[in-house]
Amino acid sequence: MSTKLSPLRHVRGFDVVRPLSIATMIAIMLPLVLLPLASIFIFGTSKGLDSFWKSITADEAVFALKLSLVTSFWATAFNVVFGLFAAYVLSRYNFRGRNAVIIIISLPTAIPTAVAGFALILLWGPYGVLGRFLEPQGIHVMLTAWAIILANIFVTFPLAFGVIKPVFDTMSRSLEEASATIGATRWQTFWHVTLPSLRGAIVTGALLTFARALGEFGSTILVSGNLAMQTQTAPLYIYTEFQNNHVPEANAVAIVLVLLSFGIFSVLFLARDWLDTE
Amino acid sequence: MQSGEFKTISGDEQKATETPQQATHGVAASVRAISKSFKKARVLEDIDFDVAEGESLVLLGASGSGKTTILRIIAGLEEPDTGRVILHGKDVTELPARERGVGVIFQSYALFPRMNVEQNIGYGLRIRHRARREIKETVDGLIELVGLEEHRKKYPSQLSGGQQQRVAIARTLAYKPQVLLFDEPFGALDAQMRVRLRREIHTLLKKVNLPAIFITHDQEEALELGDRIAVLNAGRLEQIGTPDEVYNRPETEYVATFLGAANLLLGVVNDETVEIGTASIPAQEEAARFRDGQSVKLVFRPEDVCLSLTGRLPEACRRLTNGVIEEISFVGAYERLMVRLDLVARQATEGAPPLYNVTINTPEKRTGIPIIVTRPKPEAAANRLSVNERVAVGLRAFRVLPNYTLASERAGRILDSNKR
Repeated sequence: MSTKLSPLRHVRGFDVVRPLSIATMIAIMLPLVLLPLASIFIFGTSKGLDSFWKSITADEAVFALKLSLVTSFWATAFNVVFGLFAAYVLSRYNFRGRNAVIIIISLPTAIPTAVAGFALILLWGPYGVLGRFLEPQGIHVMLTAWAIILANIFVTFPLAFGVIKPVFDTMSRSLEEASATIGATRWQTFWHVTLPSLRGAIVTGALLTFARALGEFGSTILVSGNLAMQTQTAPLYIYTEFQNNHVPEANAVAIVLVLLSFGIFSVLFLARDWLDTE
Repeated sequence: MQSGEFKTISGDEQKATETPQQATHGVAASVRAISKSFKKARVLEDIDFDVAEGESLVLLGASGSGKTTILRIIAGLEEPDTGRVILHGKDVTELPARERGVGVIFQSYALFPRMNVEQNIGYGLRIRHRARREIKETVDGLIELVGLEEHRKKYPSQLSGGQQQRVAIARTLAYKPQVLLFDEPFGALDAQMRVRLRREIHTLLKKVNLPAIFITHDQEEALELGDRIAVLNAGRLEQIGTPDEVYNRPETEYVATFLGAANLLLGVVNDETVEIGTASIPAQEEAARFRDGQSVKLVFRPEDVCLSLTGRLPEACRRLTNGVIEEISFVGAYERLMVRLDLVARQATEGAPPLYNVTINTPEKRTGIPIIVTRPKPEAAANRLSVNERVAVGLRAFRVLPNYTLASERAGRILDSNKR
């Protein structure tokens, strides 16, 4: 009957559905996301901060973290510059096969990372398509830090491009035209007018790329050889230490990685007004 | 003092005395036989005009008339298919936008969002690597000229539309442009702001004495801003002339109807009169260029009609016919009447094709032809009229235009524009 209202849903001033739905949402997230993250901190610090500090300052751990940061940095630098360039070309010029190029640039996100690593080995490895010519020259790409950078570039390739391109597309052409009529060269226009408008997109793209590269595992383990103190990145270190039953060591590095990701995410979240491009 | 200060920036002192009438010498910008097509659509057809030093020329046309394309071609943002653009005697057709020294005020103003007012205005000098002191002096002078002293550190998003426009103008003045181009400068503003800014810009332009080309679709704006007006229709220049010329002596039907309201009656020339249906009006001067029997259009403005209850029309009025008042409405500053003229379409003489007819731009199908008449308040008050009264109708002024729809070249032209 229509006059008989459900008491649960129509209590004036107190909507039961609201707290219930929020609680349900958090209850679902708890075992899936929140507790795993919390466990890292709980276990990592259970033996005291001294033990944590010892694990984190171990040579191999420090090396792995540094290597991760450095390789991620270069991969990010490359992908942001290339993404900017590609976005400029693809939004300013129309040519045959333009859409094909856009799809190919976006492809690496859809490829499993292990496949990406495998593909790189088949190209650069000692018997690879290119590697077989480099090998006699004494140039080794695989099993070096370069391989890690290449793997990172591959798997994070479309991220910066994907953030920058839409901003390029929606950017008013009249700003650039105004700059041109005022007398600016293409380069001056790009530097003084286009780039400042892309500031937010560039920073966002860079942070996303960096965060993703920092955690890359699947392709890295194939191309790097996972040699401690040589080509072992932080995720590989965690995996190796865990395999060797060195749980506290793995845990300590895991905490650092989580904090780094958390930091990057906070920047993206807190600075979103600044990052918003007009 | 402001204008003096600016002149040292612009460095052009002698052009102050020039008037638009002297357009033949002191030409600042010329467009010569410009044509342009986008894909297969012809957007500009043989456009030709000059802008004199210190003159304001308004390109007036409906959307799609090609006016924006002309502006972009002058600025160097678009290339013409044929024709030349000449700025101060120099052919710049092949030059890129940045080497032309043209100031464009975009409809959206296109201020750089990450630069404040000072930086926006100084941009043209900064990219020319001028000394910091010189930039500062110029920017200070321009900020004073456009009256934005309190807003110099503000960013475009913090400014009103009118302030943004002033920044946009100052930004172009900084590098001493050869000509200023305004793209629908008031399109983004509300009606009240438009009128105010129009005056402001008009004053400012006279102060800096730079040639300017405006584009607009607003006839009122064109009449107020332009020393001369160029009326564009479907990529062709219909007429170019002073506001008085294009308004009072339109050369084509399009110009007559685009610049304000106009009544159109189809008639035929006969012995220094124009016969419209059963009526006729003496037109010794107006019809002089037509031969007898030629089909013409009689064009007159609503305010050029005189009405009289007694049948006695003022001296300056030439009697046309009688009519019945059908509608009276009060529209602010004036009264608007609809008068149905006692005109009956004249029968075509036997055997001859019905070459002409009596028409008016309303779709109504009744005997007699309605026309629109406006009367200023004082006259409306002194000479009250009411609906259904019969009045004598005379015309103070009118134009006789060829009825081009029958001429082959005009017919071809209209078909052409319909296809588009």
